[in-house]
Amino acid sequence: MSNAPHILVIDDEPQILRAMRTILTEKQFRVTTASRGEEGLTLAATTEPDIIILDLGLPDMEGVEVCTRLREWTQTPIIILSVRDSERDKVAALDTGADDYLTKPFSIEELLARVRVALRHSANRKGAQGAQSKVVKAGPITIDLAWHIVKRGEEEVKLTGTEHKLLAYLAANHGRVLTHQSILTHVWGQEDADHTEYLRVYMRQLRKKLEADPERPQFILTEPGIGYRFIADE
Amino acid sequence: MFALMLIASVTTVFFLLRDALNTTLVALLYLIPLGIITALWGLGPGITSAFITFLTLNYFFIKPYYTFTVHQPADIVILVVFLMVAVVIGQLVGRAQAGLAAATAREREATQLYELSTALTGLQDEHAIGRILANQVHALAESEYLELYITGIEPFVYQLPERNPPERPPELIVPIEAARGVLGEIRLWRAEQAISLREQRLFQTFASQSALALERAWLARAESRARVLEESDRLKTAILSSVSHELRTPLSTIKAAASSLRGKEVSWDSPARVDLVAAIDDEADHLNMLVGNLLDMSRIESGALNPKREWNILPEIIGSVLARMKRLAVDHKLEVDVPESLPLIPVDYVQMEQVFTNLISNSLKYAPADTVVCIRARVEGESVHVQVSNQGPQVPQEDLERIFDKFYRTTAADRVTGTGLGLSICRGIIEAHDGHIWAENVADGLAFNFTVPLTWDGALPPPLPMDTEAE
Repeated sequence: MSNAPHILVIDDEPQILRAMRTILTEKQFRVTTASRGEEGLTLAATTEPDIIILDLGLPDMEGVEVCTRLREWTQTPIIILSVRDSERDKVAALDTGADDYLTKPFSIEELLARVRVALRHSANRKGAQGAQSKVVKAGPITIDLAWHIVKRGEEEVKLTGTEHKLLAYLAANHGRVLTHQSILTHVWGQEDADHTEYLRVYMRQLRKKLEADPERPQFILTEPGIGYRFIADE
Repeated sequence: MFALMLIASVTTVFFLLRDALNTTLVALLYLIPLGIITALWGLGPGITSAFITFLTLNYFFIKPYYTFTVHQPADIVILVVFLMVAVVIGQLVGRAQAGLAAATAREREATQLYELSTALTGLQDEHAIGRILANQVHALAESEYLELYITGIEPFVYQLPERNPPERPPELIVPIEAARGVLGEIRLWRAEQAISLREQRLFQTFASQSALALERAWLARAESRARVLEESDRLKTAILSSVSHELRTPLSTIKAAASSLRGKEVSWDSPARVDLVAAIDDEADHLNMLVGNLLDMSRIESGALNPKREWNILPEIIGSVLARMKRLAVDHKLEVDVPESLPLIPVDYVQMEQVFTNLISNSLKYAPADTVVCIRARVEGESVHVQVSNQGPQVPQEDLERIFDKFYRTTAADRVTGTGLGLSICRGIIEAHDGHIWAENVADGLAFNFTVPLTWDGALPPPLPMDTEAE
């Protein structure tokens, strides 16, 4: 059991902690819990968890501050929990280094999916630059990140330079939420970080070229108010 | 001066007719100009004129002429009687005159007071009351400077003319007093002419009139506040009863399902188990939606909605709403009619999703199964017009506006669950986007319509960077 992934849950609500501990232990994770920000920061340093699940509504500290202080010394994936309608807080936490988010109330499938994605990305990060040569598959879509080839079924899909850059960034981070700002900065550059309309238009073009029904996308998903998420085969 | 000229001219006339008139007649005739003079210029000039006339009568008309000496005893009698009569007439006429002047002054005061109270009638605004009082007193007193100070929740000072007050203390301070105490005061500067007692009394009356008006305005405001509070209290009770009813329904399902799963009633491999678990899951989502609606409503009520506008693609928003509502819409056919050429619109993505979710779920709730729910969008002038229509029951004309009110439910309420908040949330969001929302009966059902502006602070979407190269 000692090599099972270790999850640190920081949340001030005892019921949530109790449920998380029960469910995650059942799923073969090791679980440590903290109910305050300071306590969480200490436990993160002393127990070296593989994933940190952080509630943004802590009584003693702003969630964003916890993220910032964690990111000063560790790249451990952080999944933030928050309530509906606090998009601004979520985006702020994601842009200061959190890896993903869940809106309360969430289902356990969602939580486990996020945990799996976070673990995979942190493994990729540790395992040198192996991710670069990878091929990402999503349903009929094949994206060869190294060779810049995108196929739908057997047919190659023609993408413009920007479209390709955008898709490559999404695919390399598949499963993870990417905020508007992080995509814009990565694809267009820092000076265009607030032009969400670029994203809207280019995502639409990508969906038209890749999705069976661009109005109801299966692979390039919109995260309302936050950003986008590319869903690939596990 | 005019009195002297009148006496001189009358004397000239009499002098010319001296031979035709006797002394007694002249003395009698002299009483006429005397009466006129007293009537016109008052008691002082009257008495003075009486003495002058007495002398002219003696000098010009009583023999020997051109001397003040009198020879005939009868003439002495005439002169003495004339003087007495002249003085008495002067006094009588003068007193009547003074009485008239006082009456006129009183009438003028009464008129001014009447004008003030007419102007103050019905005023609910203490600033307006203050302005009228200050202007009236300023005009009447012809003051060089006037300052009006009103206390209350928001004290204010009104100055006429609008500059700094003189260095010296005011000549007159009139308190504005009402039953509740001092409501303010009038400070008046007038150096040239001392302020008379009569004026002080008048201004005091003005002040009490205004105090009454101020008190009335405050009372009216307090009353309307009380009414608003009462109304919001009534609404809160409605919210509580509606909400607790709505919350209890999913909670009952969850409790029943969870407790039967926990107990021994349902065996582990029974198909009922799957149903119960699904019921718990669905009802938890339902509960979450209800709480979300309540939060949205409270945010709209407190004016804290603040849409985070961005240039968005309408079909993307509609698409993600439809994807999320797939499970709810199994019994209906959803049609989307949005032209590809629709421009980007400046809206809050999340809030606009909420609008579509509520309008579509409302349509799904009321329209019978196997009917069509159609979402249509067109550019109309400066805005985009969106219509969500269904083939459900129509709403009576008089209720079309009211269905957007909080907790308003049409008569079908007993068939359908909901808090009655969905449509009013839509209205709150659309109005926060400077748009307009309404419902109308269409040929085969009901249609919700809304518009949102195509421009953001008057600007159109920025051009996109060119990207034509294909790999």
